[in-house]
Amino acid sequence: MTKEVSKNHRSETVGRRMALNGLPSREDTAGLPPQADLHPLSDTVDRRTIMKLMGASAVLAAGLPGCRRKPYRKIVSMADTPEYQHPGKPLYYASTWTEGRTPYGMMIKTLEGRPVKIEGLPGHPLNRGTSNAQIQGSILSLYDPDRLKAPMRGEKTITWEEADQEIMAALKSAGKTVFITRSSLGPAERALIKEFLSASPGARHLVHESFHDGPRRTAWQAIYGEAGTVQTNFAEAKVILSIDSDFLGTDGDVLKTVASFSKSRVVKTGRIDAITEPVSSRLYVAEGAMTVTGSNADHRIVIRPSFALRLVRALGSAIRGETGPLKQAAGKHGWDDKVLLALVQDLKANPGASLVVAGPHLPVAVHAAVCLLNQALGADGKTLSWNPDPHALPVDPPGTIHTALKDGVDLLLLFGVNPVYDWPAGGFDTLIQKAGLSVGHGLYHDETLNACTLALPSTHNLESWNDAHPLPGVHGICQPVIAPLFDARQEAESLLNWLRALKPRTGRPEEPDDWHDRLKKHWQTELLSNADDLEKAWDDALREGIFGQPVTVPLPEPDRKKANALSSMNPPECGDRELVILPHHAVLDGRFANNGWLLEFPDPISKLVWDNAAVIAPETAETLNLSEGDVVEVCTGMHSLVLPVLVQPGTAGGVIVTTLGHGRTRAGRVGNQKGVNCSPILGSGPFAVSPWVMGNAQLKALGKKQTLVRVQKYFSMEDRPIVLHGTAGEFKRNPHFVDLRRHLSEDSQLHDAYDYSKGPKWAMAIDLNTCTGCGVCTIACQAENNIPVVGKKECGMGREMHWIRLDRYHGGDPANPLVYNQPMLCQHCDNAPCESVCPVNATAHSHEGLNEQVYNRCVGTRYCANNCPYKVRRFNFFHYTKENLVDPVQELAYNPQVTVRSRGVMEKCTFCLQRINEQKFKYKNKGEPIPDGAIRPACVQACPAGAMVFGNLNDPNSRITKMKNSPLAYFVLEELNVRPNVSYLAKVRNPHPSLDHLEGKGGHG
Amino acid sequence: MSRNGTATAAPPVIAAPDFKKLDNDINRPLESFPTLRWNIAITITGSLATLFLFCFGYTIFTGIGSWGNNNPVGWGWAITNFVFWIGIGHAGTLISAILYLLRQRWRTAIARCAEAMTVFAVICALQFPLIHTGRPWLAWYWLLPLPNANEIWVNFRSPLLWDVFAVSTYGLVSVLFWYTGLLPDLALARDRAKNTVRKLVYGLLSLGWTGSNRAWRHYEKAYLLFAGLSTPLVLSVHSVVSFDFAVSVIPGWHTTIFPPYFVAGAIFSGFAMVATVIIILRWMFNLQHIITKDHLDVMNRITVATSLMVGYAYLIELFMAWYSGVAYERYAFMNRVMGPYAWAYWTMVSCNVFIPQLLWIRKIRRTILLMYPVVILVNVGMWFERFVIIATSLSRDFLPSSWDYFKPTWVDVGLLAGSMGLFLTLVLIFCRFLPTIAVAETKAHLPGSQPAGGHHE
Repeated sequence: MTKEVSKNHRSETVGRRMALNGLPSREDTAGLPPQADLHPLSDTVDRRTIMKLMGASAVLAAGLPGCRRKPYRKIVSMADTPEYQHPGKPLYYASTWTEGRTPYGMMIKTLEGRPVKIEGLPGHPLNRGTSNAQIQGSILSLYDPDRLKAPMRGEKTITWEEADQEIMAALKSAGKTVFITRSSLGPAERALIKEFLSASPGARHLVHESFHDGPRRTAWQAIYGEAGTVQTNFAEAKVILSIDSDFLGTDGDVLKTVASFSKSRVVKTGRIDAITEPVSSRLYVAEGAMTVTGSNADHRIVIRPSFALRLVRALGSAIRGETGPLKQAAGKHGWDDKVLLALVQDLKANPGASLVVAGPHLPVAVHAAVCLLNQALGADGKTLSWNPDPHALPVDPPGTIHTALKDGVDLLLLFGVNPVYDWPAGGFDTLIQKAGLSVGHGLYHDETLNACTLALPSTHNLESWNDAHPLPGVHGICQPVIAPLFDARQEAESLLNWLRALKPRTGRPEEPDDWHDRLKKHWQTELLSNADDLEKAWDDALREGIFGQPVTVPLPEPDRKKANALSSMNPPECGDRELVILPHHAVLDGRFANNGWLLEFPDPISKLVWDNAAVIAPETAETLNLSEGDVVEVCTGMHSLVLPVLVQPGTAGGVIVTTLGHGRTRAGRVGNQKGVNCSPILGSGPFAVSPWVMGNAQLKALGKKQTLVRVQKYFSMEDRPIVLHGTAGEFKRNPHFVDLRRHLSEDSQLHDAYDYSKGPKWAMAIDLNTCTGCGVCTIACQAENNIPVVGKKECGMGREMHWIRLDRYHGGDPANPLVYNQPMLCQHCDNAPCESVCPVNATAHSHEGLNEQVYNRCVGTRYCANNCPYKVRRFNFFHYTKENLVDPVQELAYNPQVTVRSRGVMEKCTFCLQRINEQKFKYKNKGEPIPDGAIRPACVQACPAGAMVFGNLNDPNSRITKMKNSPLAYFVLEELNVRPNVSYLAKVRNPHPSLDHLEGKGGHG
Repeated sequence: MSRNGTATAAPPVIAAPDFKKLDNDINRPLESFPTLRWNIAITITGSLATLFLFCFGYTIFTGIGSWGNNNPVGWGWAITNFVFWIGIGHAGTLISAILYLLRQRWRTAIARCAEAMTVFAVICALQFPLIHTGRPWLAWYWLLPLPNANEIWVNFRSPLLWDVFAVSTYGLVSVLFWYTGLLPDLALARDRAKNTVRKLVYGLLSLGWTGSNRAWRHYEKAYLLFAGLSTPLVLSVHSVVSFDFAVSVIPGWHTTIFPPYFVAGAIFSGFAMVATVIIILRWMFNLQHIITKDHLDVMNRITVATSLMVGYAYLIELFMAWYSGVAYERYAFMNRVMGPYAWAYWTMVSCNVFIPQLLWIRKIRRTILLMYPVVILVNVGMWFERFVIIATSLSRDFLPSSWDYFKPTWVDVGLLAGSMGLFLTLVLIFCRFLPTIAVAETKAHLPGSQPAGGHHE
């Protein structure tokens, strides 16, 4: 283990490496920053030839023309091979994801000093080794050639010294300084800002985000009497009601939520007589737009978000025994009263084990009413707890920021925000122009930085020092894993520099030198002060990435009177139609808009790529005589949006749903002019229920068409045994009900079957009960396997390259369908139809049961793809990778353990062969058998729900064997006798026993 | 020929009473300057052939992405064209081999032309499997079982490999058969040649043909042997091509009827193409007296017969899909008939089954202007048959999540139109430099060439 490796030794050798390449060097000029510390998962490695390392670093150096950093130190020749680093052997570093609102733990894999893949940090209390699409995509953003590469004044590149001088001069004389940041700031950053504000009397810190949970936090603060957030524990909840909250998609600490929710969805398949409840939770979702959460619902009620308050109030009185108002409201709004009454019965029957959550875009009154409802259900203290110090700061309303800026300020500092793009009503650039000196600090030369006098490049998450406070009792650390690729500086480092203009250095030795030292000091004084050896404690914290144990803080006593008062605030009447704006599932509020992986990440519901759209219900489309792709104008009074229509079953009639994050004009080469910017309309009009829900929206067809690309176009299962499903009731009656629906083939073989018993036999199992359909597996696979982005046009031609995709099928009521999600990847069939038809033997079966594709041998007849019943093979119609390459820096993002495919060859899922071999070699060298679970393909590793399991079928005790033998296990299209190696566990919904028939026929006939 | 008592009584020659005139008539296009008709024709077809070369190069340089192929539809127009052109070749082989063995003498007038078309159709067909691969620069020899240092062998289980053998054998045998038949006529061209270059070229090509008894004896033997060799090829080539589909698991492809169905379709389309071209040629080179309406009549009869065969195949396919009870099969055929490609299916059925029934009427069979649209539509219909089989089956197979629609690009269109151009250009060049009609063979059927009054067989 590398715990023994001294960090000094490492820094020196890294310095030497760079020195040998004839480049000016300092200990932190090379791939590895000096004080970064290895995660214990990094392997000990043996000595290998130095030449490869040098070759690799020469490539690295050639790709990094901008990585010069002063001052230079320690030019020492690399006389010894670095002991901890060997070509091809990855090193892992723990860090924290700071790009989003939730600070998940990251484990970053680096090879030869460059990060190539990010995983979730095992043991992190929020994400426990899993990750989301944005974390996966972060690696692509790091090497984005469109990043701002040097400080700029207008169009002119300047030096950091010039920029610092100008800003420090302004600071010294500034009477009024306004400082606007994003909401997610680490404790050390907050302390620095506090010091900055105290040193600069006229300074003000404001927080801006275009999507946040402001209304919810306002309600909580009023009711619970202190700032903080409510923590939910889904694992304990038997009945869950979501009021327009996509808690499995974009709302809150999703990775944590998904993990705990999924636990409650595992179907218990032990001794049949002992099982009373095969599925422990029942999810009711009342929502306006079909979301990932809604697609997992046992019962889904279609409501308009503006009616959420009525529903919650009616439910409140129904819990107290008066069902009249509920029935009345249901009748009036067309809600399914049978489902609602079943919900009331369930809620009443499960005190202390039920949970109601509401979406962040709903108004304060709804959240207050939900607090009251939760309290009435006894959720407080059971399924709910408190986080007194949430990671994200409360957001200042645009009005406050506008007031602060409208009369002009002397100095305006914009850190990591993009208000010129996402300001409601637009026009933030005029506010910037009013400032004496405006400074934008960000990753890209985006809309805002372009409007500022000075545009300063920020370092990427993976190049930065930071900390986080993910949960009560837990602190996280963010350490750089590569020196800044460009002439960028961390925002906190800048602030610390500028602070010296106000507070000159004292010269005392304990004064921190730079941001790293300050962060370290902050930790050593605030968190690690009890440790015997402060240095060691810091090193340990760095290595682990997190510090402390989560503690459960009980919910404060709610103020019922205030809650009642808040919940009685009636929202404005919304008329026939309302516009709802939600964050995009992949690019969120637009901060990831230049990331091709994320732009091409299909919407989990509509499968739309590269665009946003006005999503409407089929009935709305019919009423207005609109069809998909028709361009409409959506108007809420003051402002309007011009968007193409997307017709999505499951959307509430009278609701138009669209997303933030598109329509960027200065995102970069990938993200510019993709989709429509919906921020200008936020909160506009007199009927705004909240900034994101606006009533009285008018929809007008403009008589134009625009192409929208969905990577899946047909959503009917056509009565085929693709996703087998049933209900918990059925399962209880007959735990082997799935067998009745399987289409088994005759076990006939033309050739003798291969005997796989000598070695391992790899296989995968996917539990459709825990899979939420979020699609993170798709992006994790893309990151691991160098899968190219193909662009909207190619996607439109049906040429997307994803090796694992999320298929979605509809069942039941067409207006409010039941959704079945199914990850679909190469099934590694033992009787693979692709293998027999390849004329050149480019695809063949391995002795361990893998269907292997030999790129070098492939001539691209595409016969294999034609003959694949699952259509999971992907053809390189063009040299996509080469075409996407505009700058050599992009090449650093490729995983060197996976071949980059060229034009004209077929590719497909390999079960991450490189990962299988890595573990095989490792345990072979150790002389041990490969432990179950040691090999995890990228999709399996990323899956937040733990729905995918990979392992050895020849091991009778492995998880995969157990899952394959589950009574729910089946293979897709098994009647073809292709003998797939991916088993699926049939979807078991858990409807209320009185509504069991709603599931329909339950599978196909 | 009634005189010889054969039932399919199309006399080989009408208005060429003597050998000299026959020689002159047939050799005139070789020996005179091209006519205006020929020049106009080759300008058009040559332009299309150039388009083909351009699209060919464009595909190689940019990739298969320049076509409309997508994820479920891995094969699109290229393979459609391949199967179409291979099918076209079948008429030539059938006429030159099977009809020869069956002593159908009316074949003489059109055999040479049909054989030439076989060769050219195979040439056109061969372009498509090559460029449709992702890496043609490797595919052209990796698909052959050549020993190599990597010790990687081709996959003998793959129907594509069977295709390589079947088509290359077919191409090779067709060329040899055609060339063998040409020998006496090449010698004739040599003997008539007035300038040295012509003498030299035809002299070389005629391989020292002397017209001796021995030469004729060998020639007749060889011709018979090739006819025997080609006969099974007529049946095997398209059967093997059909295995590309029949051996797969895709509903709509995985059917046992494919080999006979494909062969019948190939002969059907081949005869239609021969008729299409020959009607133009007899007009262009004034050969109406040699290739007569009687010939066209007989060809039309074969066309209508094979049309019924393919019509039967269409019906039996639908029946079997229903009778099998397999949901995927049923869907595949319902989808053909009623799905997004229904327009293509009904174009196919109309052109291949409904319209050819007009050829039952003698007047239509024997009137150029009436039969010509029919045979043209058969060509269209048979192209659509392959398109329907390939595209509709692939576009909607097992998992509806992957279903997609195939739309061709300009390169696809260019390659199809261009291959027509290539084919017709080769035909025109052939007519310009080689005798379009087997002179020696035709002479054998002229009055006075055989012992009087007897059955020479």
